[in-house]
Amino acid sequence: MDVAHVNPFIDSFMNVMPQLGFTDVRKGGLGVKGQELNCSGVIILVGIVGTLKGNVVYLIDEENAKKIASTMMMGMPVEQLDDMARSALSELSNMLTATAATGFANLGVNIDISTPTLLSGENVSVKMSSKQVLSLQLLANDVPVEVLISFES
Amino acid sequence: MAVRVVIVDDSPFSIAVIRNILEENGFEVVGEAGSLEEVKEVIAAAQPDLVTMDMTLPGTDGLECTRAVHAINPNIKVIVISSMMDEEILKEAKENNVSGYIQKPVDAEELLGTIQRVIAYEEIFQTLEDAYFEVFKETLKDALNRMTKTLLTYKSEYEMKEDFESRGIVVIVGIIGKFSGRLMIDLSKETAHALVAAMMKKEPSSINEITAALAEFTNIVAGNACSILNRKNKAFGLRLAPPSVMHGDRMSISHASFKTMSAAADTHYGEVMLNVGFRRGEDKWM
Repeated sequence: MDVAHVNPFIDSFMNVMPQLGFTDVRKGGLGVKGQELNCSGVIILVGIVGTLKGNVVYLIDEENAKKIASTMMMGMPVEQLDDMARSALSELSNMLTATAATGFANLGVNIDISTPTLLSGENVSVKMSSKQVLSLQLLANDVPVEVLISFES
Repeated sequence: MAVRVVIVDDSPFSIAVIRNILEENGFEVVGEAGSLEEVKEVIAAAQPDLVTMDMTLPGTDGLECTRAVHAINPNIKVIVISSMMDEEILKEAKENNVSGYIQKPVDAEELLGTIQRVIAYEEIFQTLEDAYFEVFKETLKDALNRMTKTLLTYKSEYEMKEDFESRGIVVIVGIIGKFSGRLMIDLSKETAHALVAAMMKKEPSSINEITAALAEFTNIVAGNACSILNRKNKAFGLRLAPPSVMHGDRMSISHASFKTMSAAADTHYGEVMLNVGFRRGEDKWM
Protein backbone atom coordinates (compact mmCIF):
# COMPACT_ATOMS: atom_id res chain seq x y z
CA MET A 1 0.00 0.00 0.00
CA ASP A 2 1.44 3.31 -1.03
CA VAL A 3 0.32 6.10 1.25
CA ALA A 4 0.69 8.55 -1.65
CA HIS A 5 -2.40 6.88 -3.10
CA VAL A 6 -4.60 8.77 -0.67
CA ASN A 7 -3.67 12.17 -2.09
CA PRO A 8 -5.91 12.06 -5.18
CA PHE A 9 -8.81 11.16 -2.88
CA ILE A 10 -8.08 14.09 -0.57
CA ASP A 11 -7.77 16.49 -3.52
CA SER A 12 -10.96 15.17 -5.02
CA PHE A 13 -12.91 15.72 -1.79
CA MET A 14 -11.50 19.22 -1.42
CA ASN A 15 -12.55 20.04 -4.99
CA VAL A 16 -15.89 18.33 -5.28
CA MET A 17 -17.53 19.03 -1.92
CA PRO A 18 -17.43 22.85 -2.16
CA GLN A 19 -19.18 22.57 -5.54
CA LEU A 20 -21.99 20.74 -3.77
CA GLY A 21 -22.53 23.40 -1.15
CA PHE A 22 -20.09 22.37 1.60
CA THR A 23 -18.23 25.48 2.68
CA ASP A 24 -15.85 23.88 5.16
CA VAL A 25 -13.87 20.88 3.97
CA ARG A 26 -11.04 19.37 5.97
CA LYS A 27 -8.84 16.35 6.11
CA GLY A 28 -9.01 14.26 9.26
CA GLY A 29 -6.89 11.32 10.29
CA LEU A 30 -5.25 8.65 8.19
CA GLY A 31 -4.74 5.12 9.35
CA VAL A 32 -4.19 1.56 8.24
CA LYS A 33 -6.81 -1.08 8.87
CA GLY A 34 -6.99 -4.79 8.32
CA GLN A 35 -8.80 -6.58 5.55
CA GLU A 36 -12.02 -7.12 7.46
CA LEU A 37 -13.88 -4.04 8.63
CA ASN A 38 -16.95 -3.57 10.71
CA CYS A 39 -19.20 -0.82 9.42
CA SER A 40 -22.59 0.70 10.17
CA GLY A 41 -24.60 3.18 8.17
CA VAL A 42 -24.29 3.81 4.48
CA ILE A 43 -21.63 1.89 2.60
CA ILE A 44 -20.85 2.71 -1.01
CA LEU A 45 -18.47 0.55 -2.96
CA VAL A 46 -16.72 1.56 -6.18
CA GLY A 47 -14.43 -0.78 -8.12
CA ILE A 48 -11.17 0.34 -9.70
CA VAL A 49 -9.26 -1.18 -12.59
CA GLY A 50 -6.16 0.00 -14.42
CA THR A 51 -2.56 0.52 -13.35
CA LEU A 52 -3.99 0.11 -9.87
CA LYS A 53 -6.66 -2.45 -9.12
CA GLY A 54 -8.88 -2.44 -6.09
CA ASN A 55 -11.90 -0.91 -4.44
CA VAL A 56 -12.85 2.24 -2.63
CA VAL A 57 -15.54 2.24 0.03
CA TYR A 58 -17.20 5.39 1.32
CA LEU A 59 -18.65 5.06 4.81
CA ILE A 60 -21.07 7.55 6.26
CA ASP A 61 -23.19 6.93 9.31
CA GLU A 62 -26.91 7.19 8.71
CA GLU A 63 -27.59 10.57 10.34
CA ASN A 64 -24.61 12.12 8.59
CA ALA A 65 -25.63 10.58 5.29
CA LYS A 66 -28.95 12.43 5.62
CA LYS A 67 -27.10 15.68 6.27
CA ILE A 68 -24.92 15.22 3.21
CA ALA A 69 -27.84 14.29 0.99
CA SER A 70 -29.77 17.30 2.25
CA THR A 71 -26.92 19.71 1.49
CA MET A 72 -26.50 18.14 -1.95
CA MET A 73 -30.20 18.70 -2.59
CA MET A 74 -29.99 22.45 -1.86
CA GLY A 75 -30.94 22.06 1.78
CA MET A 76 -34.10 20.06 1.19
CA PRO A 77 -34.91 18.30 4.46
CA VAL A 78 -34.04 14.61 4.36
CA GLU A 79 -36.00 12.73 7.03
CA GLN A 80 -35.06 9.32 5.78
CA LEU A 81 -32.69 7.89 3.25
CA ASP A 82 -35.20 7.45 0.48
CA ASP A 83 -34.48 6.69 -3.17
CA MET A 84 -33.63 10.29 -3.95
CA ALA A 85 -31.17 10.61 -1.05
CA ARG A 86 -29.54 7.26 -1.81
CA SER A 87 -29.20 8.18 -5.43
CA ALA A 88 -27.58 11.50 -4.46
CA LEU A 89 -25.06 9.63 -2.27
CA SER A 90 -24.30 7.13 -5.02
CA GLU A 91 -23.72 9.99 -7.40
CA LEU A 92 -21.46 11.65 -4.83
CA SER A 93 -19.28 8.54 -4.60
CA ASN A 94 -19.18 8.40 -8.37
CA MET A 95 -18.09 12.06 -8.62
CA LEU A 96 -15.48 11.72 -5.88
CA THR A 97 -13.95 8.58 -7.36
CA ALA A 98 -14.05 9.90 -10.94
CA THR A 99 -12.31 13.10 -9.83
CA ALA A 100 -9.72 11.05 -7.93
CA ALA A 101 -9.20 9.01 -11.13
CA THR A 102 -8.42 12.24 -12.97
CA GLY A 103 -5.98 13.10 -10.18
CA PHE A 104 -4.28 9.71 -10.59
CA ALA A 105 -4.08 10.30 -14.35
CA ASN A 106 -2.19 13.53 -13.66
CA LEU A 107 0.34 11.42 -11.74
CA GLY A 108 0.65 9.09 -14.73
CA VAL A 109 -1.48 6.38 -13.10
CA ASN A 110 -4.42 5.41 -15.28
CA ILE A 111 -7.48 3.96 -13.59
CA ASP A 112 -11.11 3.47 -14.54
CA ILE A 113 -13.98 3.10 -12.11
CA SER A 114 -17.05 0.89 -11.94
CA THR A 115 -20.58 1.94 -11.11
CA PRO A 116 -21.18 2.43 -7.38
CA THR A 117 -23.15 -0.04 -5.25
CA LEU A 118 -24.86 1.35 -2.16
CA LEU A 119 -25.76 -0.70 0.88
CA SER A 120 -26.88 0.16 4.33
CA GLY A 121 -27.08 -1.77 7.56
CA GLU A 122 -25.82 -2.20 11.07
CA ASN A 123 -22.71 -4.14 11.94
CA VAL A 124 -21.90 -4.99 8.38
CA SER A 125 -18.65 -6.77 7.93
CA VAL A 126 -16.86 -5.57 4.81
CA LYS A 127 -14.04 -7.64 3.43
CA MET A 128 -11.91 -5.97 0.84
CA SER A 129 -9.43 -7.64 -1.45
CA SER A 130 -6.11 -6.37 -0.11
CA LYS A 131 -4.60 -7.34 3.22
CA GLN A 132 -4.26 -3.74 4.27
CA VAL A 133 -6.76 -0.99 3.81
CA LEU A 134 -6.01 2.71 4.09
CA SER A 135 -8.60 4.58 6.07
CA LEU A 136 -8.90 8.27 5.36
CA GLN A 137 -11.13 10.53 7.36
CA LEU A 138 -12.52 13.57 5.55
CA LEU A 139 -14.90 16.19 6.86
CA ALA A 140 -17.40 18.36 5.02
CA ASN A 141 -19.10 20.94 7.24
CA ASP A 142 -17.93 18.78 10.15
CA VAL A 143 -19.69 15.71 8.76
CA PRO A 144 -17.20 12.86 8.67
CA VAL A 145 -16.85 10.62 5.63
CA GLU A 146 -14.51 7.67 5.92
CA VAL A 147 -12.83 6.59 2.73
CA LEU A 148 -11.42 3.07 2.71
CA ILE A 149 -8.90 2.48 -0.04
CA SER A 150 -7.84 -1.01 -0.95
CA PHE A 151 -5.40 -1.57 -3.79
CA GLU A 152 -3.91 -4.91 -4.70
CA SER A 153 -0.17 -4.80 -4.86
CA MET B 1 -32.20 -0.15 -42.86
CA ALA B 2 -31.53 3.58 -43.22
CA VAL B 3 -31.14 5.61 -40.04
CA ARG B 4 -34.26 7.76 -39.70
CA VAL B 5 -33.68 11.41 -38.82
CA VAL B 6 -35.85 14.37 -37.84
CA ILE B 7 -34.36 17.84 -38.36
CA VAL B 8 -35.31 20.51 -35.83
CA ASP B 9 -34.47 24.00 -37.05
CA ASP B 10 -36.36 27.19 -37.75
CA SER B 11 -34.30 28.18 -40.78
CA PRO B 12 -35.36 26.65 -44.11
CA PHE B 13 -31.82 27.24 -45.35
CA SER B 14 -30.24 25.21 -42.52
CA ILE B 15 -32.83 22.47 -42.94
CA ALA B 16 -32.02 22.26 -46.65
CA VAL B 17 -28.27 22.04 -45.97
CA ILE B 18 -28.64 19.34 -43.30
CA ARG B 19 -31.22 17.39 -45.30
CA ASN B 20 -28.92 17.45 -48.30
CA ILE B 21 -25.94 16.06 -46.41
CA LEU B 22 -28.05 13.36 -44.78
CA GLU B 23 -29.87 12.22 -47.90
CA GLU B 24 -26.72 12.14 -49.98
CA ASN B 25 -25.26 9.77 -47.42
CA GLY B 26 -28.03 7.25 -47.14
CA PHE B 27 -29.99 8.66 -44.21
CA GLU B 28 -33.73 8.99 -44.35
CA VAL B 29 -35.11 12.36 -43.26
CA VAL B 30 -38.54 11.55 -41.87
CA GLY B 31 -39.61 14.94 -40.61
CA GLU B 32 -38.87 18.56 -39.78
CA ALA B 33 -39.89 20.73 -36.88
CA GLY B 34 -39.35 24.39 -36.01
CA SER B 35 -41.17 24.83 -32.69
CA LEU B 36 -41.81 22.92 -29.47
CA GLU B 37 -45.32 21.97 -30.61
CA GLU B 38 -44.02 20.68 -33.93
CA VAL B 39 -41.24 18.75 -32.17
CA LYS B 40 -43.78 16.93 -30.00
CA GLU B 41 -46.01 16.15 -32.96
CA VAL B 42 -43.35 15.12 -35.43
CA ILE B 43 -41.28 13.03 -33.00
CA ALA B 44 -44.30 11.14 -31.67
CA ALA B 45 -45.50 10.42 -35.20
CA ALA B 46 -42.17 9.64 -36.87
CA GLN B 47 -40.30 7.91 -33.97
CA PRO B 48 -36.90 8.63 -35.54
CA ASP B 49 -33.58 7.09 -34.50
CA LEU B 50 -31.89 10.45 -34.40
CA VAL B 51 -32.73 14.15 -34.17
CA THR B 52 -30.59 17.09 -35.23
CA MET B 53 -31.41 19.97 -32.94
CA ASP B 54 -30.95 23.70 -33.39
CA MET B 55 -30.37 25.63 -30.16
CA THR B 56 -32.22 28.87 -30.89
CA LEU B 57 -35.84 28.30 -31.75
CA PRO B 58 -38.81 30.66 -31.54
CA GLY B 59 -40.51 30.47 -28.15
CA THR B 60 -38.31 27.62 -26.93
CA ASP B 61 -34.74 26.35 -27.14
CA GLY B 62 -32.88 23.22 -28.16
CA LEU B 63 -32.61 21.95 -24.60
CA GLU B 64 -36.33 22.17 -23.91
CA CYS B 65 -37.00 20.46 -27.23
CA THR B 66 -34.42 17.76 -26.40
CA ARG B 67 -36.24 17.05 -23.15
CA ALA B 68 -39.50 16.86 -25.11
CA VAL B 69 -37.92 14.34 -27.50
CA HIS B 70 -36.69 12.18 -24.63
CA ALA B 71 -40.03 12.42 -22.86
CA ILE B 72 -41.51 10.72 -25.92
CA ASN B 73 -38.69 8.21 -26.31
CA PRO B 74 -35.48 8.32 -24.23
CA ASN B 75 -33.64 6.16 -26.75
CA ILE B 76 -33.77 8.75 -29.52
CA LYS B 77 -30.32 10.29 -29.98
CA VAL B 78 -30.09 14.05 -30.21
CA ILE B 79 -27.23 15.85 -31.92
CA VAL B 80 -27.20 19.61 -31.50
CA ILE B 81 -26.31 21.67 -34.55
CA SER B 82 -26.00 25.27 -33.48
CA SER B 83 -24.16 28.46 -34.33
CA MET B 84 -23.49 28.88 -30.61
CA MET B 85 -20.90 26.77 -28.85
CA ASP B 86 -19.21 27.50 -25.55
CA GLU B 87 -18.34 25.54 -22.43
CA GLU B 88 -21.47 26.49 -20.54
CA ILE B 89 -23.80 25.49 -23.33
CA LEU B 90 -21.91 22.21 -23.90
CA LYS B 91 -22.27 21.39 -20.23
CA GLU B 92 -25.99 22.11 -20.36
CA ALA B 93 -26.32 20.00 -23.49
CA LYS B 94 -24.63 17.09 -21.75
CA GLU B 95 -26.88 17.47 -18.73
CA ASN B 96 -29.84 17.22 -21.08
CA ASN B 97 -28.57 13.96 -22.57
CA VAL B 98 -27.45 15.37 -25.87
CA SER B 99 -25.22 12.83 -27.65
CA GLY B 100 -23.18 15.17 -29.81
CA TYR B 101 -22.68 18.84 -30.54
CA ILE B 102 -21.51 20.47 -33.72
CA GLN B 103 -21.27 24.08 -34.73
CA LYS B 104 -22.78 25.80 -37.74
CA PRO B 105 -21.85 26.24 -40.54
CA VAL B 106 -22.33 22.51 -40.84
CA ASP B 107 -19.38 20.57 -42.10
CA ALA B 108 -20.58 17.37 -43.80
CA GLU B 109 -17.68 15.25 -42.56
CA GLU B 110 -18.11 16.43 -38.99
CA LEU B 111 -21.85 15.75 -39.03
CA LEU B 112 -21.43 12.29 -40.54
CA GLY B 113 -18.59 11.44 -38.15
CA THR B 114 -20.66 12.51 -35.15
CA ILE B 115 -23.70 10.53 -36.29
CA GLN B 116 -21.58 7.44 -36.90
CA ARG B 117 -20.03 7.68 -33.45
CA VAL B 118 -23.42 8.07 -31.79
CA ILE B 119 -25.00 5.20 -33.70
CA ALA B 120 -22.01 2.90 -33.19
CA TYR B 121 -21.96 3.53 -29.44
CA GLU B 122 -25.65 2.76 -29.20
CA GLU B 123 -25.28 -0.39 -31.29
CA ILE B 124 -22.40 -1.67 -29.17
CA PHE B 125 -24.34 -1.03 -25.97
CA GLN B 126 -27.34 -2.80 -27.43
CA THR B 127 -25.22 -5.87 -28.26
CA LEU B 128 -24.05 -5.97 -24.65
CA GLU B 129 -27.54 -5.37 -23.30
CA ASP B 130 -28.94 -8.18 -25.43
CA ALA B 131 -26.26 -10.66 -24.42
CA TYR B 132 -24.99 -10.13 -20.91
CA PHE B 133 -27.74 -11.57 -18.73
CA GLU B 134 -27.85 -14.97 -20.41
CA VAL B 135 -24.06 -15.12 -20.35
CA PHE B 136 -23.84 -14.38 -16.63
CA LYS B 137 -26.63 -16.84 -15.83
CA GLU B 138 -24.91 -19.50 -17.87
CA THR B 139 -21.48 -18.93 -16.29
CA LEU B 140 -22.94 -19.04 -12.77
CA LYS B 141 -24.60 -22.33 -13.60
CA ASP B 142 -21.45 -23.64 -15.23
CA ALA B 143 -19.10 -22.55 -12.42
CA LEU B 144 -21.37 -24.13 -9.81
CA ASN B 145 -21.52 -27.30 -11.83
CA ARG B 146 -17.77 -27.52 -12.31
CA MET B 147 -16.97 -26.73 -8.69
CA THR B 148 -19.67 -28.78 -6.95
CA LYS B 149 -20.99 -31.15 -9.65
CA THR B 150 -24.49 -29.92 -8.93
CA LEU B 151 -27.03 -28.10 -11.04
CA LEU B 152 -29.11 -25.02 -10.44
CA THR B 153 -32.53 -23.99 -11.67
CA TYR B 154 -33.48 -20.41 -12.31
CA LYS B 155 -36.90 -19.91 -10.84
CA SER B 156 -37.41 -16.22 -11.48
CA GLU B 157 -35.91 -13.37 -13.44
CA TYR B 158 -36.75 -9.73 -13.12
CA GLU B 159 -35.45 -6.23 -13.53
CA MET B 160 -34.33 -4.97 -10.13
CA LYS B 161 -36.32 -1.83 -9.51
CA GLU B 162 -36.38 -1.67 -5.73
CA ASP B 163 -33.99 -1.95 -2.84
CA PHE B 164 -33.82 -5.38 -1.38
CA GLU B 165 -32.75 -6.94 1.86
CA SER B 166 -29.71 -9.14 1.54
CA ARG B 167 -30.12 -12.80 2.37
CA GLY B 168 -27.04 -12.40 4.58
CA ILE B 169 -23.94 -12.29 2.41
CA VAL B 170 -23.36 -10.31 -0.75
CA VAL B 171 -20.34 -10.40 -3.03
CA ILE B 172 -19.88 -7.39 -5.27
CA VAL B 173 -17.62 -7.15 -8.30
CA GLY B 174 -17.24 -3.89 -10.18
CA ILE B 175 -16.99 -4.25 -13.94
CA ILE B 176 -15.16 -1.71 -16.03
CA GLY B 177 -14.77 -1.32 -19.78
CA LYS B 178 -16.43 0.62 -22.55
CA PHE B 179 -19.47 0.37 -20.30
CA SER B 180 -19.19 -0.02 -16.57
CA GLY B 181 -21.40 -2.05 -14.33
CA ARG B 182 -21.42 -4.48 -11.45
CA LEU B 183 -22.19 -8.03 -10.53
CA MET B 184 -23.68 -9.08 -7.19
CA ILE B 185 -24.24 -12.52 -5.81
CA ASP B 186 -26.45 -12.67 -2.75
CA LEU B 187 -27.10 -15.67 -0.56
CA SER B 188 -27.80 -16.63 3.05
CA LYS B 189 -25.05 -17.56 5.48
CA GLU B 190 -26.37 -21.12 5.61
CA THR B 191 -26.35 -21.42 1.83
CA ALA B 192 -22.87 -19.92 1.71
CA HIS B 193 -21.63 -22.39 4.31
CA ALA B 194 -23.05 -25.39 2.48
CA LEU B 195 -21.88 -24.18 -0.91
CA VAL B 196 -18.33 -23.54 0.27
CA ALA B 197 -18.22 -26.88 2.08
CA ALA B 198 -19.17 -28.56 -1.21
CA MET B 199 -16.60 -26.57 -3.18
CA MET B 200 -13.79 -27.31 -0.72
CA LYS B 201 -14.99 -30.84 0.02
CA LYS B 202 -14.59 -30.06 3.72
CA GLU B 203 -16.28 -28.01 6.38
CA PRO B 204 -15.07 -24.40 6.30
CA SER B 205 -13.32 -23.59 9.56
CA SER B 206 -14.30 -19.92 9.76
CA ILE B 207 -16.46 -17.23 8.24
CA ASN B 208 -13.23 -15.92 6.77
CA GLU B 209 -12.73 -19.09 4.80
CA ILE B 210 -16.30 -18.85 3.55
CA THR B 211 -16.02 -15.25 2.41
CA ALA B 212 -12.66 -15.91 0.75
CA ALA B 213 -14.07 -18.88 -1.16
CA LEU B 214 -17.17 -16.91 -2.17
CA ALA B 215 -15.03 -14.02 -3.38
CA GLU B 216 -13.05 -16.41 -5.56
CA PHE B 217 -16.21 -18.14 -6.80
CA THR B 218 -17.77 -14.81 -7.80
CA ASN B 219 -14.53 -13.73 -9.40
CA ILE B 220 -14.56 -16.86 -11.54
CA VAL B 221 -18.20 -16.35 -12.56
CA ALA B 222 -17.59 -12.70 -13.45
CA GLY B 223 -14.28 -13.41 -15.17
CA ASN B 224 -15.68 -16.20 -17.31
CA ALA B 225 -18.73 -14.16 -18.26
CA CYS B 226 -16.70 -11.09 -19.19
CA SER B 227 -14.31 -13.20 -21.28
CA ILE B 228 -17.23 -14.60 -23.24
CA LEU B 229 -18.67 -11.12 -23.74
CA ASN B 230 -15.29 -9.68 -24.77
CA ARG B 231 -14.96 -12.45 -27.35
CA LYS B 232 -18.38 -11.51 -28.74
CA ASN B 233 -17.25 -7.92 -29.18
CA LYS B 234 -13.73 -6.75 -28.51
CA ALA B 235 -14.98 -3.20 -28.09
CA PHE B 236 -16.55 -4.11 -24.71
CA GLY B 237 -13.07 -4.46 -23.17
CA LEU B 238 -14.59 -5.59 -19.85
CA ARG B 239 -12.30 -6.00 -16.85
CA LEU B 240 -12.98 -6.73 -13.21
CA ALA B 241 -12.27 -4.98 -9.97
CA PRO B 242 -11.46 -7.40 -7.13
CA PRO B 243 -14.50 -8.83 -5.33
CA SER B 244 -15.65 -7.38 -2.01
CA VAL B 245 -17.71 -9.42 0.41
CA MET B 246 -20.16 -7.97 2.88
CA HIS B 247 -22.21 -9.70 5.48
CA GLY B 248 -24.39 -8.52 8.29
CA ASP B 249 -27.87 -8.45 9.66
CA ARG B 250 -30.55 -6.51 7.85
CA MET B 251 -28.30 -5.31 5.08
CA SER B 252 -30.31 -3.34 2.56
CA ILE B 253 -28.93 -3.06 -0.97
CA SER B 254 -30.03 -0.18 -3.16
CA HIS B 255 -31.14 -0.70 -6.69
CA ALA B 256 -28.80 0.91 -9.20
CA SER B 257 -29.57 4.08 -11.12
CA PHE B 258 -29.37 2.03 -14.32
CA LYS B 259 -31.13 -1.13 -15.42
CA THR B 260 -29.90 -4.29 -13.73
CA MET B 261 -31.30 -7.79 -14.06
CA SER B 262 -31.74 -10.30 -11.28
CA ALA B 263 -32.18 -14.04 -11.39
CA ALA B 264 -33.01 -16.16 -8.38
CA ALA B 265 -31.71 -19.69 -8.58
CA ASP B 266 -32.50 -22.79 -6.59
CA THR B 267 -29.33 -24.67 -5.88
CA HIS B 268 -28.63 -27.81 -3.93
CA TYR B 269 -27.47 -25.55 -1.09
CA GLY B 270 -30.27 -22.99 -1.03
CA GLU B 271 -31.26 -19.90 -2.95
CA VAL B 272 -28.65 -17.81 -4.75
CA MET B 273 -29.43 -14.51 -6.38
CA LEU B 274 -27.48 -13.07 -9.28
CA ASN B 275 -27.79 -9.39 -10.13
CA VAL B 276 -25.89 -7.74 -12.94
CA GLY B 277 -26.19 -4.66 -15.10
CA PHE B 278 -24.32 -2.10 -17.13
CA ARG B 279 -24.79 1.60 -17.37
CA ARG B 280 -25.36 2.99 -20.84
CA GLY B 281 -23.17 5.88 -19.77
CA GLU B 282 -22.04 8.62 -22.00
CA ASP B 283 -19.68 8.39 -24.86
CA LYS B 284 -16.84 10.74 -24.13
CA TRP B 285 -17.64 13.40 -26.69
CA MET B 286 -16.20 16.33 -24.82
